[in-house]
Parts: sequence; C-alpha cells; structure tokens
Amino acid sequence: MNRRTHPALTVWAWLTYAFLYLPILVLIVFSFNESKFGANWTGFTTHWYSVLFARQDVREAVSHTLEVAVLSTLVSTVLGTLVGFGLWRGGFRGRVPLTFLLVMPIVIPDVVMGVMLLMFYAIVRGLLERTGWTFENGFWTVMLAHVSFQISYVALTVRSRLAGYGRELEEAAADLGATPVQSFLQVVLPLALPGVLGGALLAFTLSLDDFVVTYFTSGSGFRTLPVLIYTAVKKGVTPDINALSTLLVLFTVVMIVLANLLSRPRKEQV
Amino acid sequence: MKRSLCAVLLLSCTLLSACHRVQEKDTAAEGNGTTTPQPSDPGDGKTLRIFMWSDYIDPQVVKEFEKREGVKVVIDTYESNESMIAKLQGGGASYDLANPSNYVLQTMVRAKLLQPLQKEGLKNFGNISAGFLNPDFDPGNTYSVPYQFAATGLAYNSARYTPPSDSWSLIFGPGDTVRFALLDDPREVIGAALKYLGYSVDSDKVEELKKARDLLRRTVQKKGFESFSGGPETRNKLLAGSIDLGQIYVGDLLQGAAENKGLHVFLPREGTTISTDTLVILRGSPNPALARRFIDYVLEPRVSAAISNYTFYGNPNRAAQAFLDPFLKSQKAFNPSPEDFRTDKVEFINELKGGNTPRLYDRIWTELKSR
Repeated sequence: MNRRTHPALTVWAWLTYAFLYLPILVLIVFSFNESKFGANWTGFTTHWYSVLFARQDVREAVSHTLEVAVLSTLVSTVLGTLVGFGLWRGGFRGRVPLTFLLVMPIVIPDVVMGVMLLMFYAIVRGLLERTGWTFENGFWTVMLAHVSFQISYVALTVRSRLAGYGRELEEAAADLGATPVQSFLQVVLPLALPGVLGGALLAFTLSLDDFVVTYFTSGSGFRTLPVLIYTAVKKGVTPDINALSTLLVLFTVVMIVLANLLSRPRKEQV
Repeated sequence: MKRSLCAVLLLSCTLLSACHRVQEKDTAAEGNGTTTPQPSDPGDGKTLRIFMWSDYIDPQVVKEFEKREGVKVVIDTYESNESMIAKLQGGGASYDLANPSNYVLQTMVRAKLLQPLQKEGLKNFGNISAGFLNPDFDPGNTYSVPYQFAATGLAYNSARYTPPSDSWSLIFGPGDTVRFALLDDPREVIGAALKYLGYSVDSDKVEELKKARDLLRRTVQKKGFESFSGGPETRNKLLAGSIDLGQIYVGDLLQGAAENKGLHVFLPREGTTISTDTLVILRGSPNPALARRFIDYVLEPRVSAAISNYTFYGNPNRAAQAFLDPFLKSQKAFNPSPEDFRTDKVEFINELKGGNTPRLYDRIWTELKSR
C-alpha cells in the first residue's frame, strides 16, 4: 500500500456510506424516542422495546417468520445446490435456457411474482376441488413461494463457487474408483460448501425480509414480521415498530456478514 | 412505481375473477343439495377472522369481544385497498370481515366479494349517525356499516403560524406568502380544488375539471408549494416548521396534537372531502353469524367510542359521542355536524362514474406530479 488514496475519494466514500446508513441510523435512534407520534425528539426511553416484547401478535409473527425462513432455506439449499452443480457440470441440452430461467425470479418484480403465485395457488385449488380436496393458504404456500425464488440465489452462488474448478476433478475421482455419488459427496460438495452455506444464508435473509410475495401467498391468521411492519406504515409508524425494525436490521446485518465470510473463496483449500 | 403496482393489481384482479367464476359454479351446485353444515368451516363459530387496516382497533376492545363470546379473534392487516381486494380475489384465505374504504365498496360488490349484512338483525344499527345512513356508495346500507371516518382538513402549528382565515384561499387564492403541503393523493388534491371552486368532489364535468386543473397548475407553481406528502410526514413538517399549512387527514393531525398543543386543524369554509372505512361481511365468510355479532358489538356506543379514542379517527356513531375523549370532543374538525353533511360541507369521495372521467383525473394528477 504505497499509493495513497486521494482525500476527495475518501470523503466521497464516506458520503456514500452516510447515504446508505443514515436512514437506518435514524430508525434506530427513533426506536428510543419517548414520543409516540411525530418525529420530534422528546427524550430517551427503552419503553418501546418492552411494549414490543409484550405484543402477542409480534411474537406470533416472529415465530412464523423463523419457521418459514428455516424450512424454506433447507429445501431451497438442497434443490439449489443440485441445480448449481448440474449447471457447472453441464453436458446436457438446454443449459442456456435453464440459466436464463434461473435468473428470472431474481429480476422480475416482487409484485409480479406475488400475484403470479397467488393466481397459481388459486388455479391449483380449483383443480384440487374437483377431486374433493382443498387447502387454505398459510404456512405451506408461503414456504413454497419463498423456495421458488430462493433456489435461484442458491444455485447461482453454488455455480459461481464451482466455476473456478474443472471437470477433471470428477474424472480424477472416477479414476480412483469413486462412484458418481461418492465423487459428488466427497469431492465436489466439500469444494462447493462455502458457496452452499453462503447461498443458504442469502436465501435465509431473503425469506426473512420478504413482504410482497408473503403478503399475497399467506392466508388468514398467518402474518410474518415484514407483513406486520409494512402494513403498519399507512397509519404512521409507531416507535415499537421502529424497535422491531431495528432488531430486524441487526439480525439481517449479522446474517449478511456471516454469508460474506463463508462464501469468501479460500485458495489454500484447492 | 406506485402506478405500475396498481396496474399489475388491476390486471390480476381481472384474471383472478376469471378463476373465481369457475369456483362459483361449484358452490352454486353445492347449494342446490341438502343444506348440511359446511364441513370446510374451519372456525365452527369459534374463530373470527378480520382483514383490516393496521393499528385500527383498540386491542382492549378485541379482548372484550373474545371474552364475551368465548371466541378467538384473528386480525390480519393490509396497507392499501387495492392489495386487499387482490388478495381476497385470489382466494385461499378465508376472512369473515373486511374493512374497505367507501370508494372501493362498489368494486367489491361487483367482484361478488360481499354478502348482504342483513341490517335488520343488528340491534345497534340505529346508533349510526344520520350522515352515514343510506350513503351513495352503499344504498340502504345493504353491505356495510361505517367504522371510522377521515375528514380532510388544513393544519397549522400555532407556535409558528396562525392562519388569518378558515378558507382554501390561503392555498388556492392569488397570494403566495404561505408555505404549504398537499396530500399525495389525486382525489384529495383535485377534490380540494373542486370544493374551492364550488363544485362536487366527484365532478365528472369536463368544464369544471378544466378549471380545477388550471387552478392546481397555478398552485403548484407557487413559491410556497413545498410538496405532496402523506399525513404523518406533513405533521412532522409542521412541527419542524418547514411548512405553515398542510392538507391532512384530521385523525393523523390529532394524534400529534394530543402530544403537542401547538398543532391545530380546521375544515375549510368552502367544504372538504371525507371518506369512511366500513365493515363488510365477505361472501366466503366461514362464520357470518359471528361476524354479524361483531359488527353489532362495534356499533355499541362505548365500544365505538373506545375505538375512536384509540385511533383518533372520526366516529360515525351518534350514541357514542357522549363517551368520546374530552380532547376529541373539543376538536371542531373531529366532529362535522349533521348540517355539514347535509350541505355537503363534508362530501364523500365516491367512485368516479363515466367511462372517461377516471382518465381525466389521472391526467390532471400526472401533470401536477411531473411538473
């Protein structure tokens, strides 16, 4: 590091960070504001945190959110890893269209995704009702909806983790007598592991944060935290919601830092 | 952003209602058979599911109903009428009650989402204030009872500014000395201009709308025009002193006024807009009888007053007025008189009629926002 950064560049970087993080800081500060309404500071209090923890609906929403996030992450990590592996391995027709389809859930707007899934479930329900079965939207519909966008993130993370390695690893394993399953489990998977875990954490935070898709695919009596927070905005945000958002931000930050640490490529393993 | 969201929701509504029609045939067929209690009834009269605006009911009121009836009340929330309708049309979530604003009620009737509420069976129906009976948006109160209402007023912070009159001319008049904010809502802003000009807030006359457009064009070009902003935001701007006057929902301002004595709100002399959120029973309601009992409960004077004391929103219940918080009772803007309703000093925002009218409003709004 013998080249010194131009001071203007440093200032610019700090401004960028301020732009990104000041709103979050304001939110955190105001979760300690005594005033129930309005943005004027009237005094410091942790009262809103106790209000928050006493709320039954918040506790329910927290457990719904975590249940959905954990299960959907497990499912999407398994499926996404297999897709990522398959894409890396190649050797089949339709690889390009498949990659394109994987990117779709990432780039299409959430609203479209949410409404699409809502309609999909309505159609499935309509078909099922002919056979005498039916289902309510709720945990399962939300969980599957989350899996449907999480898979893409996991698959792409796994694929880019594996991108540096060639097929010869598998060939070498085969030469040494490994079955395809053994070579996947003992050679490829350990190499891909940082990508798998990184992708899983990314999927987890996405599920934790999702409002739009969850809103449209959930049934009655099934609210997650983002739904609870977002629907509260219209009538003005109360400080206990600020407190809740603060905790959610902290949790998400921890998750993202973990994801970054885990998916960082480690050359010495090769 | 918002616009595209609405477009998507509208499109989905159309598509969903197509799916829905298929299901409807099924239920109609069922209805022809012997009337056995529906086995798919998940609540069995023990759970009431309400879909409503967030933070819009006193939790204490809900608890008391649960105790009285021995049932559980589940409340889910939404943040816009459009997304509420889209979700209901998608099916898969069975609610008993919803809480739509008056101007989407007919949309919901047309989408066959509601069932008549049989008001004859409601003991407390007679408590409703005259201004809310037999409204244009629901003739004969076939489907709805009013829940809470929101009149739109002008607010100021007396610590910094005291308006010399109670007229819209402070904003729409020729002078340009006052700094002001308008609500970020087409019907409210265009409605205010129409009222100032002496027309109806639901006007479908091209001439009147043209005049309103010209007036608004001049208004947003004033130096004093600060922004289009939502209620809580306007309240904060008044407190911070970055504006002198703000168009605001009375309830939003009063929430702040309870804490800060400087905040005041009035209904302009020329008249203003009003909208009401209603309670309706959904067609797919698993427990319509329980839902009806809940509506009757909410219409009880003490319960209705407790809800307003919690939300600070307007109370459409004649018999509840005596139980309102003295602070709310002292606010003139909180409580438009029956006279105000009769003379259209407060006028309901209704769904726009006429094929081309919504587009005219839309065009005026787009022009104002893209100035």
